[in-house]
Amino acid sequence: MYKRTKDLQLSIIKQIELRASKYPDVVSLAQGIPSFDTPSAIKRRVENALRRGVVAKYSLSPGLPELRELIEVGLAQENMFYDWEKEILVTAGSIEAITATVLAITDPGDEVIIPGPTYTSYREVITLAGCKPVFVPLHESKGWAFDLEKFREAITAKTRAIFYCNPNNPTGTIYTQEQLLGLAELAEQYDLFLVSDEVYKDFVFDDSKEKIFSLAEIPSLRKRVIRIFSFSKAYAMTGWRVGYVHSDESVIKEIIKVHDSLVTCAPVISQYAAMGALEMGEKDLKFFIGEFKNRRDLMCERLDRLGHIFSYIKPNSAYFVFPKIVTPFNKGGEGDLKGGFTDSWKFALELLDKAQVAVVPGIAFGPNGEGHIRMSFGRSEEDINKAFDRMEKYFK
Amino acid sequence: MIKQILKKILQYYLKFVTKMVLFIYRPTVIAIAGSSSKVFVKDEINRVLRESGVAVRSNPKSFNTEIGLPLAILNLPSGYNSYIDWLPVIWKAFLALFRSGFPRYLVLELGVSDVRDMKYLLSIIKPEIAVITDITQRYLEGFGNMDELVGEYEYLVSSMSKDGLAVLNYDNFRIKQMSESARCKIIFYGFNQGADWQAKLISHSDSGQKVEIKSPSGTTVYNINRHGQHHIYASLAGAIIRNYVELEKKKI
Repeated sequence: MYKRTKDLQLSIIKQIELRASKYPDVVSLAQGIPSFDTPSAIKRRVENALRRGVVAKYSLSPGLPELRELIEVGLAQENMFYDWEKEILVTAGSIEAITATVLAITDPGDEVIIPGPTYTSYREVITLAGCKPVFVPLHESKGWAFDLEKFREAITAKTRAIFYCNPNNPTGTIYTQEQLLGLAELAEQYDLFLVSDEVYKDFVFDDSKEKIFSLAEIPSLRKRVIRIFSFSKAYAMTGWRVGYVHSDESVIKEIIKVHDSLVTCAPVISQYAAMGALEMGEKDLKFFIGEFKNRRDLMCERLDRLGHIFSYIKPNSAYFVFPKIVTPFNKGGEGDLKGGFTDSWKFALELLDKAQVAVVPGIAFGPNGEGHIRMSFGRSEEDINKAFDRMEKYFK
Repeated sequence: MIKQILKKILQYYLKFVTKMVLFIYRPTVIAIAGSSSKVFVKDEINRVLRESGVAVRSNPKSFNTEIGLPLAILNLPSGYNSYIDWLPVIWKAFLALFRSGFPRYLVLELGVSDVRDMKYLLSIIKPEIAVITDITQRYLEGFGNMDELVGEYEYLVSSMSKDGLAVLNYDNFRIKQMSESARCKIIFYGFNQGADWQAKLISHSDSGQKVEIKSPSGTTVYNINRHGQHHIYASLAGAIIRNYVELEKKKI
């Protein structure tokens, strides 16, 4: 009994949030959620759908045709050409897309390579599918870049896919076109799927870059690349649970079977919200990008003042900083831990308990994340300042 | 209540200015209607017209209803739900009466979601060409039944003057039937035998689709760097419009 779930754990982010909820005055930089409410234009679209009485029934399993058409149009503007009827599948957020994809493309016993540190839930989904997650470390000294040779070394006869998040959560790294093309070469050579989770693709803070490069832009890779997007981050819609996955028809026709058995269809009301986002969310998205850039700069300024505790690489994307704990820290006294707190779990718990600031321990993102913590600048400037005021006081 | 009244005032103001602009500049209007694929057909017709060297304007995004259509014609953004954002739009709409460089062609999607929507939209524009893309159960919720929904598109086709042209999807039975009530010239397009412009998929690869299009003037092979049958329909409609524009040029 419980064989399938015995190796799973509730995501460390959720565990931290649960613990944090017991502290009434906690400031959370833990969960990756934007501080904004869903834009009013999107809400109006939903209100209209409610008034028209079109949200009570299931949609077609792959999603509302009009939403998928809009997605196809949006993808074409980003140089990705997919057929809305057969190659685009609307899902209940990116996590359902990830789960349906992993269950569709793997067999139990397969291995899936994930660069670490990366999004915490990949490990759980891969394990749930009866597969083995294989972490390949990213290079912190090279700005958290890929080392292709490390990927090659990790590939075995059982490897089925490489699963990566671009821009990467928690490091905010944007992988270069050259790195991604190198990965594609490996995938071609060893006949692997490439699953590209691009939920933070809109948050690019480098003014010289208009958009991130995606391997889904290359026609010859379309049977190999599975790209995932969610409306959660870009349009402040984390609670709506809506996203999509796209790939070649030959791949999507398998993923849709799993999607159908998991959720039948994405929540229809949320699909209308997603339509609102694509039709009218552009202005709000631009505003969010500007805000997050300011908040990133604020968080980095505040981190600079804690240079004796943390070192960090300034992120170019997403809304996280992933600082390294550079000084084993021990305040002394009862209950403190021997040898300091470079153990990221203990460090995060100590910070929560003593400073009432919630952060995510780096170990949540794979073995290579140990010795780090993740801080989200999706929170308001007020929350960021409050959290850092408390940390400065605590680390004094 | 006040919001609804202001919306009505705005709607009729934009309609009035748009009709004035259309009267002054007299562009050729190509209307695209149907339950699905309007955007792909619009983009393709836009593309072929630009390739033919004529100036063209079309709806951005889904600006295809009572407020959106005038904004598309006047080339103005929406103020959405902000009174302040609407103020410059209202002023610029007035200035559009005096602006030079109005395009020769307007390619306009028409969106209908309730009974009589088409009648209202056709009180703003008088299309020379109408393309009906497809009719499915999409948007049926605003209508009592399928006949009412189809009736909206029938109204468009039957409203066309005898000098006009209706480009109809031959593969959709309800659309095919619309020719019976039309006074204008009809061109059928589709995959089925009997269409005036008939497509046949030759091959499909990672880089797109290879299609053969048979028309009254011969057979041409097209490479479409998009995936999905809807792009073949869009290419057919685009090819028909290209042919029409070239014939018009010759007449001049």
